Amino acid sequence: MTTDPRMLMHHSDVAVSVELETPDMTLNLGPQHPSTHGVLRLVARVDGERIEEVEPVVGYMHRGYEKLAEVRTYPQITALVNRIDWVSGFANEVAFIVAAERLMGIEAPERAQFIRLILTEMFRISNHLVFMSSYPLELGAATPLMYALRERERVLDLIEGVTGGRFHPNFNRIGGVKPAAGGGSNQKNVVQDLPAGFLSETRDAMEKVLQVCDDMVDLVLGNEIFVVRTKGVGVIPPDRALAHGVSGPNLRASGVDFDLRKVDDYLPYDRFEFDVPLGENGDCFDRYLVRLEEVRQATGIVLQAIDSIPSGSLRAKVPRVIKVPKGECYVRAENPKGEMGYHIVSEGGRGPYRLKIRSASFSNLSVLPWLLEGVLVPDIIAILGSLDFVLGDVDR
Amino acid sequence: MTESRSDGAAAERDRKAAATAERIAALVGSDTWTAQFGTAKVVVAAGNWVEAHRRVAAELPFFSWLAAVDWARDVAVGEPPEDPETPERYEVMSRLADVTEGEAVILSTSLPKDAPVLATLSQVYGGAEWHEREAAEMFGISFDGHPNLVKLYLPDSFEGHPLRKSFPLLSREVKPWPGSVDVEDMPSTENPEA
Repeated sequence: MTTDPRMLMHHSDVAVSVELETPDMTLNLGPQHPSTHGVLRLVARVDGERIEEVEPVVGYMHRGYEKLAEVRTYPQITALVNRIDWVSGFANEVAFIVAAERLMGIEAPERAQFIRLILTEMFRISNHLVFMSSYPLELGAATPLMYALRERERVLDLIEGVTGGRFHPNFNRIGGVKPAAGGGSNQKNVVQDLPAGFLSETRDAMEKVLQVCDDMVDLVLGNEIFVVRTKGVGVIPPDRALAHGVSGPNLRASGVDFDLRKVDDYLPYDRFEFDVPLGENGDCFDRYLVRLEEVRQATGIVLQAIDSIPSGSLRAKVPRVIKVPKGECYVRAENPKGEMGYHIVSEGGRGPYRLKIRSASFSNLSVLPWLLEGVLVPDIIAILGSLDFVLGDVDR
Repeated sequence: MTESRSDGAAAERDRKAAATAERIAALVGSDTWTAQFGTAKVVVAAGNWVEAHRRVAAELPFFSWLAAVDWARDVAVGEPPEDPETPERYEVMSRLADVTEGEAVILSTSLPKDAPVLATLSQVYGGAEWHEREAAEMFGISFDGHPNLVKLYLPDSFEGHPLRKSFPLLSREVKPWPGSVDVEDMPSTENPEA
């Protein structure tokens, strides 16, 4: 190396007189990174600021639930599946339990189905509030998090009051739901199944949730930086979304009007009126907007359900030892993150012969290599966050 | 009242599934289909796998999942099949759905145990790529023409195919699961009437 300034000048003259070469660089993101919702690693080949190719590396959270399910009984698997998507624990249980019930020819009493529905919608609100507040945080806006999580805490308190758990209630039973927390195993008085004050506190909490939705419109959607960073970014066209099995709010943000709550009958959603919010452009902004509107619709469903919840028992009669007759059944549910389904292959045993777990985040994330091609490096975070996945739901 | 409602709903689900299965079976040129528990399933030949999906893709554009089942008479984990004469094979299933009426079908094919090879669906449904990588590492099924058939979840150095029935759960072999002694009493204590 020379320190002669004249020589340096000479070198720079040479550099500009030839074709500028920028070799590709490999950029490694993760597995530990705050925007990755668990442990996701992205290996990106970048040309300057532009991504040429990206390879997601998953499996850091793989817990082998499909194998474990083969050595567990049906009641035990309910506790396992809670932990697939830990932000919406209860919602994971429902499709599995309904699939086992259908194979056994059992249907849960109406009151139990209503309680399942109310809790599922509460978890949808909780999940979407986490998204609505953490996504702006990833883009640099810290304030919305405080407001949204404060109201989410109210919803979690209600869930805790009913189930005894905030994240992993393990509240479903084949044939119905567990007696509510505090009721004890000898609870025969069915009117004690929901805690005292649940209905009025729910009304109060739903009002607060609606208010925080309005706050989010001001705080987030009215934020010019947020709008610029999300509008037109990460567009998923509908045909691409379908071929990759992208489901839930991510699919509806692309303008596909499809909600399993409207077409399937795993829970009595046909009794309630609600809209399915749709996006137009399929970009990050629309994915935020769709989830925000879904929260508003979910509060409406919860309020309708607590007004019309029938009385009755919490659990149908089930055999003492649960054995599921030979057969195959797939049941899917509209989870907060998309289609969550369980394909049970039963050979008449106390546990399934094979359990296929279809989780929403897995398919939602599989579109990522295509989606990130050609975007700028700072947009990775905006796009990742907008897909709303957790790695537990990807890796199972 | 609830009895009649649930029976009616189950019958309606089965009727809908049967209609879908019959229609898709005709479309892919198969005469074997089932529609039980509201789940429509059409059996196609392994050689017809990609062509069958190509035909179905126009009507059912949503790729839900792909998975395999190891049908084995001797199992290292869990309970063996009810029928001891169950033909040993790998069954590969893919589930395709529409996004309007809620119609859906599972296409199923069987592969021999000694040479489990199937053509890839990744040209028809882009989403099949990851699902096939998972089936490949978990069952040792090879997908011909797959653009990137490397391990998805497992470390590169992992040996064996964990979801095969011959693959033991080693931790449970060494020490039986402690909860196994009391699990069966729980349902009755919760539900005194049963």
